Amino acid sequence: MKIFSIIMMLFLIGASIAVSMMKNLLSTIIIFMVYSLVMAILWQQLNAPDLAITEAAVGAGITTLLFVLTLKKIRGVKK
Amino acid sequence: MQSLILREVSKMIIPFIQIFGIYVIFFGHISPGGGFSGGTIIGVSLILYRIAHGKEVAMNKFKYNSLIRSLCGALIFYGILKGYSFITGGSGIHFPQLPLGTAGNIFSGGYLLPLNIAVGIIVSVTVYFLFALFYEGEI
Repeated sequence: MKIFSIIMMLFLIGASIAVSMMKNLLSTIIIFMVYSLVMAILWQQLNAPDLAITEAAVGAGITTLLFVLTLKKIRGVKK
Repeated sequence: MQSLILREVSKMIIPFIQIFGIYVIFFGHISPGGGFSGGTIIGVSLILYRIAHGKEVAMNKFKYNSLIRSLCGALIFYGILKGYSFITGGSGIHFPQLPLGTAGNIFSGGYLLPLNIAVGIIVSVTVYFLFALFYEGEI
């Protein structure tokens, strides 16, 4: 289980670098959601299932929804 | 953006989301979860209903008056119960308290269950309001 956690953590570092390097805004939001989901799995590995439920509901659900709505409102999606 | 597939799938999936949220709230003191996570899950189900069925249907189903009334009622209930617990517990006054029950049952943990339910109502309505204000500018 330790190897799994290390792989997840490397994935997390890669995702957080990709969020700041990406040019397209919609891709940034989707990678941010992936980051949040991996973080929820990692909380579960660290014996904090309470925080994992909250992270999966708020970080991957509500925050992504609000970000996509804001992007639609400011017309930041490239055709 | 009203598609037939979204409407039919949301009809099937919304009850399960709400039952899971109620489970997370009611078992918050003996298993992972609590008022905030369960309230967020129920709020997401309300948001899904609004996306799938459009503004008018959702506004008829979840009226502003009833939502704001339940939110304020839950807030007042939370304040009274928490204040009662603080005052009687902190200064050593021997007023009647809620029974503790046996560990492992749903009715255990004293004040935690009603406080969790109040927090769940507040968070679900707040999340729904936040989404509605972002999306269309009116509730």
